[in-house]
Amino acid sequence: MKRDEGMKLLENGKRLDGRALDEIRDVKIEVGILKRAAGSAYLEWGNNKVLAGVYYPREMHPKFMRDPTKAVLRCTYNMAPFSVDDRKRPGPDRRSQEISKILSEALSSAVIIEDYPDAGIDVSVEILQADAGTRCAGLTAASVAIADAGIPMKDLVSSCAAGKIDGEIAVDLMKEEDNYGESDVPLAILPRKKEVVLLQMDGKLSREEFKRAYKLAFDGAMKVYEIQKAALLSSMNSVKGDGE
Amino acid sequence: MIDVKDRELVFPGRILGDGGGRGGDSFIDGGHIVSSVDGMVRVKGNRVDVIPFRGGYAPKESDVVIGIILQVLRGSWLVDINSFSKAYMRGEEATRDALNSDLSRYFRVGDRISAKISEVNELKSSQLIRPWRLEDGIIIEVNPKKIPRVVGKKRSMLNMIREKTGCRIVVGQNGRIWLKGNNLETAIKAIRKIEREAQSRGLTNRVGEFLSNELQSR
Repeated sequence: MKRDEGMKLLENGKRLDGRALDEIRDVKIEVGILKRAAGSAYLEWGNNKVLAGVYYPREMHPKFMRDPTKAVLRCTYNMAPFSVDDRKRPGPDRRSQEISKILSEALSSAVIIEDYPDAGIDVSVEILQADAGTRCAGLTAASVAIADAGIPMKDLVSSCAAGKIDGEIAVDLMKEEDNYGESDVPLAILPRKKEVVLLQMDGKLSREEFKRAYKLAFDGAMKVYEIQKAALLSSMNSVKGDGE
Repeated sequence: MIDVKDRELVFPGRILGDGGGRGGDSFIDGGHIVSSVDGMVRVKGNRVDVIPFRGGYAPKESDVVIGIILQVLRGSWLVDINSFSKAYMRGEEATRDALNSDLSRYFRVGDRISAKISEVNELKSSQLIRPWRLEDGIIIEVNPKKIPRVVGKKRSMLNMIREKTGCRIVVGQNGRIWLKGNNLETAIKAIRKIEREAQSRGLTNRVGEFLSNELQSR
């Protein structure tokens, strides 16, 4: 994409939307908003709007994909046609297939899939509005939805990205920064043991820059973790009912 | 040591303590007891139990479940028990010579039964014994994790609903409840109330009052 001459992503250390370099966008999570799904979550992350739903483990189809030692977790990432500026052609494409795959793999290492031999767990992530960082937003929402369904997990999955804009490393890029910036590093972790379950890199970073980006993304993910916990606890408080 | 208070809310990955007894829905990792689900903890002395709020049914030995016959096979039946895995019932449960007799004479596709799980294998597929045909009546589905509250301590809650409504009720651990008889709607309302308010104190008394009020206003 061509960048307008003289357009600056950074001014006096502040970004286009006034954030500092190590500041993430506002994240808001609502739990259990879909009645038919076993578990669900709606997440707003800056201008990203994501809906995630999950079904209970059930018989896996097609049969040849079954695994008698563990469940197969399949995550489907889908962008709504109206989620981006130019209409997105509906249906799976290379990008959404890739994201579906990495989300499935990241979630598989959090969910205790060994409890459900021969079964399949379907997770779907719908992007209603995209503003960069949708894979992190989708993963964050999906893990909350799985927790809401009561499917056993070793830990929640928290995620955040970092990148390079105008030569500086910044956390949680938004659309303009992602489009005109130099690099993007999405990261997902299991916060309790600080294990990494997703790490990608777009563009170029030097070794030192990468370390800085990793640190920023990690700290961002820990902030997201606190928001996930708060959302789950408040949703449980409301189902706990009266009499307390 | 247990790190949580009694009745505290927990989420997957929450460390509950390091050492001591524990129930299901938790696991041990690096010397810590960790919760694996959303739920409420009950602490009794040096033991911690997680009571999950939601979740599907996983077959467990000696559970009584309500099943629906899916298929009549050679010498056995395939039964749906509201779970991710299959349940089989041997033809010998109904007849001596299962291989040479027409099993659909006993149970056909679509028949509802209550049965006991005698065995769960490593693939979580289960074996049913002692089928009991559930004729007429209706089956409702509730959250399987709330079944212990519907039954109550020493079946107190269930017996109270049975007594007050005069309804015949069979509760399956898999979240299906079969009802037949008088005051069906009132009984169902009471069960839904229990499901909604499962984690609150003094529930049996409140459901008792609710049933009395409902039945009086008829």
